[in-house]
Amino acid sequence: MNKLWIVTLETFLRQVKSWSFVLLILGPFLMFGISIGAGYLGASGSASSDEIAVISAQAQLRKSFITSDKDDVNKSITDKQTAIKKMNNDKLAGYLELKVSAGKISGHYTGTSSLATGTKSRINSYLMQAQQQLNLANAQLTASQIKSLQQQPTLKETVHKKTGTANIAKKISFWITVIMVYMILNTYTSITAQEIASEKGTKIMEIIFSSTTAFKYFLGKILGVLLVILAQVMVYLVGGWGAYIFAQNSSLTKPFMSQYHSMITSVLKNLLSINLVYLLLGVVIYTILAAFSGALVAKSEDAPKAAQPVIMLNLAAFFVTFPFQNNLDSMVVKVLSYIPFFSSYFMPLRIINNNASALDIVLSIVILTLSIFLLAGYIGKIYQGLMLQTDDSGFWKRFKRGLSYNK
Amino acid sequence: MLKIQDISKNFGSLQALKDVSFDVADGQIMGLIGQNGAGKSTTFHSILNFLNYQGTITWNDQAITEPVFDEIGYLPEERSLMPKLTVEQQIVYLARLKNQPAKKIRPQIDNWLERFAVKGNKKDKIKSLSKGNQQKVQLICTLIHNPKLIILDEPFSGLDPVNADLLKQAILTAKEQGAAIIFSSHDMENVEELCDKLVMLRNGQVILHGTVREVRQSFGKTRILVTTNWTKEQLEKLPHIIKVERHEEQRYLLSLDDETAGEAIFDELTQGKYIEEFSQQPPTLDEIFRLKAGEKDE
Repeated sequence: MNKLWIVTLETFLRQVKSWSFVLLILGPFLMFGISIGAGYLGASGSASSDEIAVISAQAQLRKSFITSDKDDVNKSITDKQTAIKKMNNDKLAGYLELKVSAGKISGHYTGTSSLATGTKSRINSYLMQAQQQLNLANAQLTASQIKSLQQQPTLKETVHKKTGTANIAKKISFWITVIMVYMILNTYTSITAQEIASEKGTKIMEIIFSSTTAFKYFLGKILGVLLVILAQVMVYLVGGWGAYIFAQNSSLTKPFMSQYHSMITSVLKNLLSINLVYLLLGVVIYTILAAFSGALVAKSEDAPKAAQPVIMLNLAAFFVTFPFQNNLDSMVVKVLSYIPFFSSYFMPLRIINNNASALDIVLSIVILTLSIFLLAGYIGKIYQGLMLQTDDSGFWKRFKRGLSYNK
Repeated sequence: MLKIQDISKNFGSLQALKDVSFDVADGQIMGLIGQNGAGKSTTFHSILNFLNYQGTITWNDQAITEPVFDEIGYLPEERSLMPKLTVEQQIVYLARLKNQPAKKIRPQIDNWLERFAVKGNKKDKIKSLSKGNQQKVQLICTLIHNPKLIILDEPFSGLDPVNADLLKQAILTAKEQGAAIIFSSHDMENVEELCDKLVMLRNGQVILHGTVREVRQSFGKTRILVTTNWTKEQLEKLPHIIKVERHEEQRYLLSLDDETAGEAIFDELTQGKYIEEFSQQPPTLDEIFRLKAGEKDE
């Protein structure tokens, strides 16, 4: 087996077998599960007292009400005494008595508290509709008169693209993108820098470099970390898809999903696009820099500090996005969307805002990819020297000493 | 055959190696000796291509690059393994980096652990082993792929006499199998016992080079071990004696400034009569090491 692949696989397996990776992967799912579970428990705990009973001497009237609003009604209670008993035991929010008298339908609600706005408007809507049907029947009108009376007013809604839901979707996409990129880059730069730094100056590196080239080993490490993030993204995609399907079908989240369907679709489209490529390339370039940073520590004991320079750069790129959340057309955003280390944040934001052409995107990706190759090539070349020198001196002296291994 | 020709290496203004040359044939053991900082590790690093240098280093007339790495077994001066791996994972990982298939290595591990008397199981984590056992696992990693060129940097340091014997046996077995072996050591007894030849470095330069016998003979037979009833004071008055050390009751080590004086001293001490012990020898490697290490560069 190719030695590059052996190092890649070893790095990948060591990471994915660790508890920190399992927790990293499961974290979002645990949060989702806990929120849904808490919502469900809350809903089920109060379910009995939210329901109402419908009591009526006219069975047809009761039946048609239940058909129109089955979610709010406890269908098993049919008489007033049972309803009062259940209400006193906190098992029922109240009961609605429906009756028809002298051509007029009336409803009387008795409950432990006022009706919820939604339930009240549904009852009103039902009563109006039922009264209208009764009126039409009593008036004994011709078919054309009935048709004429059934005319309804219409309300049309036109939403401009840059306003309303589309705008909210962009804002949500903006925040999800920058926070996701920041979190993922932070996680992987820390993992890489600490992993490299912990090997720094140890004799295991001499054993490894007596078996394969430092360049191959370095690339193997980077590819291993890249595989880890690919695995994480795959798990998130599959898990996210499952959560999306669940949310669409669960009674708890279905109303929310229907109400915000267009916005959710829009956010998902923004996230599951070429932006993922930027995320992956961003991880690669930050990982390479993190490896370099890890190789520059004085000794393996300094591993926890190793990621600091890269984390600071990532933090800077993250914060620079803030002033532009409402001004994504700015020239600064355009320039930064081509500069490696910043483009992973800024080009996705331009893509979300629909102000990046295909050429802009291709150009930015080419610059980023080229930078990755150049950076990997250079660091791979000096990697051996940096890893083998063990001077406990200043940064520049260590750097120069590392370079002198290869001169 | 490992051939090193005129290699030099500078670290800034520090000259770490200067025109170092030697070779090690297949089935030969060479000792690389010298004080700390003499350039032994830099020589090993040059052989392993860890650093750029001036001069030529070849293994069987090939430059030492990645294809040759698979034929090398290297034990660095300080011991270091991957603490979170199990013994088996560690051995297999490093062997795979030497192009050895895992399925070939795995069945051998138990035998190697037994051979080196490693206390522990192959499923134990490296970090759970004692320092000595970790050292033995590292030796196994160095040797398990049957390297043709073995480089051992201070292999005996930290080993007790029993384990040192196990290592000596492993080195001699590798020699019998035709490996070229080069090791550094501060223990001259081990060098004398195992090595066919030696190179001594001082300040990056070769100051001694040859077989152990040649090197010792080159210092002349300036050492006399004698058992006599003469007193130390009487012995010190003999011609060409520069030092007298009493080893045991009536047993002395005499150091001469001229080996040809040995015959006259023999005549003087024996007076034509029987004497229990009189042995004129070249200095030991240990004495040579101390002597040469203390000299100043020319």
